[in-house]
Amino acid sequence: MRLDAVLAALRERRTASGARDVAASLPGTSAAFWQLASFVVFFGAWEIAGHWPVSPAFPPFSQTMTALAEMIADGSLAKAYLSTLQPLVIGIAICGIAGVGFGVAMGLSRNVEWLTLPVVIVLQAAPMAAIIPLITYVYGIGLTSKVLAVVFMAAPVVVMNSYKGIRNTHPSLVQMCRAFLGTRSQEVWKILLPHAAPMIFTGLRLGLAMGFIGVVIAELLITPTGVGDLITYHSSVANYAHMFAAVTSIIALAAVSMYGLERLERRLFPPKIRGL
Amino acid sequence: MFRLNRTSVAATLLAVFLVGLTGSDALAQARTKIKYALGDVVSIDELPLLIAVEQAKQRGVDVDVVSFKSEEVASQAVINGQADVGQGTPYAAVQKVNVPIRFFYQLSSLQFFPVVSVQHYKTWKDLDGQEIVVHARGSGTEAIMQLMAKEHGITYKNVSYVPGSNVRAIGLIKGTIKATILDAANKSYVMKEAPGKFAILPVGQVKASDEALFATKAFLDKNRQAVQIFVEELVKVNRAINANPQYVIDARKKLGLLKDLPPKLEAEIMPFFEEAAKGGVFPNDGGGERAAKNDLEFFKLSGALKGDNLKVEDFWELAPLRSALGNVK
Repeated sequence: MRLDAVLAALRERRTASGARDVAASLPGTSAAFWQLASFVVFFGAWEIAGHWPVSPAFPPFSQTMTALAEMIADGSLAKAYLSTLQPLVIGIAICGIAGVGFGVAMGLSRNVEWLTLPVVIVLQAAPMAAIIPLITYVYGIGLTSKVLAVVFMAAPVVVMNSYKGIRNTHPSLVQMCRAFLGTRSQEVWKILLPHAAPMIFTGLRLGLAMGFIGVVIAELLITPTGVGDLITYHSSVANYAHMFAAVTSIIALAAVSMYGLERLERRLFPPKIRGL
Repeated sequence: MFRLNRTSVAATLLAVFLVGLTGSDALAQARTKIKYALGDVVSIDELPLLIAVEQAKQRGVDVDVVSFKSEEVASQAVINGQADVGQGTPYAAVQKVNVPIRFFYQLSSLQFFPVVSVQHYKTWKDLDGQEIVVHARGSGTEAIMQLMAKEHGITYKNVSYVPGSNVRAIGLIKGTIKATILDAANKSYVMKEAPGKFAILPVGQVKASDEALFATKAFLDKNRQAVQIFVEELVKVNRAINANPQYVIDARKKLGLLKDLPPKLEAEIMPFFEEAAKGGVFPNDGGGERAAKNDLEFFKLSGALKGDNLKVEDFWELAPLRSALGNVK
């Protein structure tokens, strides 16, 4: 009871100072202007490069956007994403449950750490494009292989962040818990996990970014489905504007997801809570 | 005496220099280099090409064959000017890209075999309302299967895409695929691995190109002589194979081609070329207008080509082949 009161007071202080920090760092109009300007410069350069042309197969930005609008209008893009998001969502859900679970367990137990850490490090270092053919030999060419490609890409960063989050908990907090005669369960649920939460969330966000890479590699290398199918098909029939539109759409979706999650992360865990 | 000597030495040096200069220039003109983009790994089915490359070399045309990951990458190499000649059938790219690219030789015609599990299907009619598996959307394999569906008045329930004949062959054997279309090598593999389990459905007369050679029009105009020599050698090799497939084995040994071939693949050379010669895969006449017309019809059906009034001259440059055929008796 007394431990709860101390923790609540600490949290209140941190949240208040964190909120002040967020308010202070809110982007002003000039930041928005420069962000917009960078997009204008980039897309402008793309348009010029397309007309120049850099390559006869390189479409200008305007043609790519027209193709994107066509693909949205005829429903082919929505249909493709329905298929692409399937392995991505399943894979990230697995990482969210099992990956965070393993990471936390590694942080809490030296035995689990010794058993799991080498596997995670090997997975992190392994080039995914080389592993995918091995996955197909074992699991064939179906959904399982694509989910595994997402998991193999996303899991290491999710596991490592959860593990480091637990391991990097400030020792004085743990000592405080023990001084207040907190049990091991209270230490885990009230000190370690809340302290590790920002890093776990960052791990999930970065895991999603890796998952996007995994799912596209899988769709290009295993069987062409979803966005991977749009890219390979339009490339094979020389519809380069449509091919670029498909590639652009997946990059945009990944970037917007990352941006949204980062904003959410800042809101949930202000810099003070994240120990910054 | 000394002065005379110095003059004569200088004159001799100048003469040697000039002769060397013109000589090396003539040599450079005599030898033409062709950068050849192949969208595949070099294996036994590329042996006719490799033999022709060696023979063209003896006539002053150096063809440098470079392997790329896929036909699309090879086509891009030609479109962007990093390769001179490409191998494949990028009809859609020829139609849509602003750079004028033309086909000039048919290396081989399509030879695919629809293979079905006899436990489920025995004829084309049995495939009505069933699922089939082909290489990729808009591919030649899909076009053949759709052509056959049209011919037999059937419709498939679903067409799935699994790239690679070898992958689909394994799917057939494992039972995950019940009806698909395979290349010659994988068809033989499947029939040998599980005798009596699979049947081949007849495809009739599908004579589109499997592999054709293409280059930019500018390259063909500038290097007419070298291209003609290369085409002559290709035609000669095809005619020799069609007359006697043993020619490939002998020529490979003589020229020392694909020395590191594993014995298992080496044993497949003769059956592969015997079957190809029997099936008319390697044309004696380089395809030409006949191949061009077949291809335009076939690739329109596959969805790769758009439009109604497709003209041979917008896709093929027939002059190098005509000149080459005139020289090969």
